[in-house]
Amino acid sequence: MPVEWTPVERSYKTYLQLVVLIDMAVLAAIALGLYLFSPSTDWLPAPHWLGVPWAAMTLFFGLFWSSRRYQFTAYARTTEAMWLRRGALWRLTRAVPLNRIQHVEVRQGLLERPFGLAHLTLYTAGSGGADLSIPGLLVTDAEAMKAALISTIAVEPTDESTYD
Amino acid sequence: MTELAWQRTPLLTIGFFIAKEIRNLIKNITNFIPLLAVVFVTDSTWLPYAVGGGYLVFILIGAVLNHRFFLYALTDDAVHLRTGVFSKKSLTLKFERIQQAELDQTWYFRPFGLTILRVDSAGSAGKEVEIPGLSIAVAQRLRQQMLAESQPQAQSQPSHAAQPSDTDANPDFIRHFGLSELIRAGIVDNKLFVLLAVLIYPVSQTDMLDERLVPWLEANVQFIDQSMWLNIGLAMAVLSLLFVLAIAVTVIHFYNLTLTINQQRYQTRAGLFSIRTTSFRYHKLQRVRIRQNLRARFLKRFNLRVSQLQPSVNAQQQQSGSFMLPVLKLEDLNTVSDWLHLPDRQQLSWQRISPIALLQPSFWVALTAPAIAILSYLKWESSLLALLLGAGIWLALQLYVIARWQRYGFTQTGGWLGVKRGVFGHKEHWYPMYKAQQIDCYQSPWLRLLGYADIIIYTAAGAEVIKYQPYALAMALQNNWLASVASNRARWM
Repeated sequence: MPVEWTPVERSYKTYLQLVVLIDMAVLAAIALGLYLFSPSTDWLPAPHWLGVPWAAMTLFFGLFWSSRRYQFTAYARTTEAMWLRRGALWRLTRAVPLNRIQHVEVRQGLLERPFGLAHLTLYTAGSGGADLSIPGLLVTDAEAMKAALISTIAVEPTDESTYD
Repeated sequence: MTELAWQRTPLLTIGFFIAKEIRNLIKNITNFIPLLAVVFVTDSTWLPYAVGGGYLVFILIGAVLNHRFFLYALTDDAVHLRTGVFSKKSLTLKFERIQQAELDQTWYFRPFGLTILRVDSAGSAGKEVEIPGLSIAVAQRLRQQMLAESQPQAQSQPSHAAQPSDTDANPDFIRHFGLSELIRAGIVDNKLFVLLAVLIYPVSQTDMLDERLVPWLEANVQFIDQSMWLNIGLAMAVLSLLFVLAIAVTVIHFYNLTLTINQQRYQTRAGLFSIRTTSFRYHKLQRVRIRQNLRARFLKRFNLRVSQLQPSVNAQQQQSGSFMLPVLKLEDLNTVSDWLHLPDRQQLSWQRISPIALLQPSFWVALTAPAIAILSYLKWESSLLALLLGAGIWLALQLYVIARWQRYGFTQTGGWLGVKRGVFGHKEHWYPMYKAQQIDCYQSPWLRLLGYADIIIYTAAGAEVIKYQPYALAMALQNNWLASVASNRARWM
């Protein structure tokens, strides 16, 4: 049975680019601090040896990586499971059966708020961490999906009499 | 609300609280590293004693206080606990929610006929409770009551609850392990190297060996540097003594090991000084591990361990308490796998993964050969030696890679997923397929280029990776397995 994938919001790409910019800016700030304030700069390479790779990485992540990641990220809900695929170069397709979900959470990070984005996180037993986290959803969509999932889980029949 | 009859544990249990304090101290030892550093660095003669004395007083006061403030109350359907010196904690454990209840007869309680009741509820962290100092009869009655409540229809006979015996009168299956088997278990699971590390570490930290032991030996034992063979013999003797000691540790731990199976409850009971029971109910089984290391292969024995759902927080600590049979003959293994409803071991068809899986490790191994050759040339300046060494190590590693691939296999039979691996030893993991928690299909750029994918199955007892499946097949497997999990309504924990 083919899975019908739903893409995430367009603004997820902008959000990814913003995250890349902030991360690269932090790296640049550290390097700048070193060049400006360290007592001796002899041991440091000439600035362009760091600056050029930095610019290349920023372009790579800001243009190529974030758009690839946005393109590939999608989710699907079938009668059996919740699906998520994510990644840009290393790709993961993950499925969590609905009857193994322990709890569901909607989270919104600081940087997601300006875009009105949130992510929906499903937890299963035994792994400790978050298991399936769908990024780039509108807050209202995420809340609606959470409500739908919870009501599905709640009415799930379990066969209490089976002991093996 | 009815008034609860709060009880304090007997004064004797202070030993338990002291042990617990010490365990906590050891667990949080990293917090004390600055203090320990001070002790080691300082010149003052009294400071180490002051610190040591301080700890002792701290542990004693902590134990006394914790004992004073540990209150429990028993009702017909629940255990209530009130603990904590400064921050109070009150906890109610309903019998019907209790997953597991075990009795630990530790050596310091056994002479007084007391025991520790260890209760675990719902598999979530921090819900594990130990009540020390119950009399054996009370603890056993309580345990029966708890297990009966949590197992509503399977054990409805009230006569069971009243029966004071720990293992019910006539279990479905019972098996004792004799001393000779346990000695074999000691050889198989030898803690010699752990013991060595524990002994060597403090010796290497202080200068005792150089300053005291060696001069003392030289002064008192004349023959020591007369013969090299004598030295080697001495070292061998010490090692074999340690080997025997390590076997003794295993034998003490598993002394009088008894396996009983009764109404879907599997239980082991063992110990010379402290008697420990561990048990699980069949529907809670998450993984079976069958292992045979090199020594076990020579002795023709197997080791079997059953994992249940463990909160990841105390997974490490729980390892020691998990359900384990340390030594099984082949026919025992077949019997036990039968009881665990594992597929028949004679009729397994293991599937190998694609030989493409050899490419990547072979590539890395191929890189090591020139590296080793260059390094050894730089060191000894002999091109023949360098060539031989490089080629020899490359060959050994490459053979290992092939053997590992050749001995790897997975199979899917009767609702179980089995994976076997191991070059020198042998290891099998068995998972009930319908208990899978999530299934991944993973592709690195390299795998995408080849058109393959890895499948990762997450279960409540850990993840298993099956590498290098053709992409279309991987997707199909993911879909099929998912459907079988989703359509299964049986209890999985």
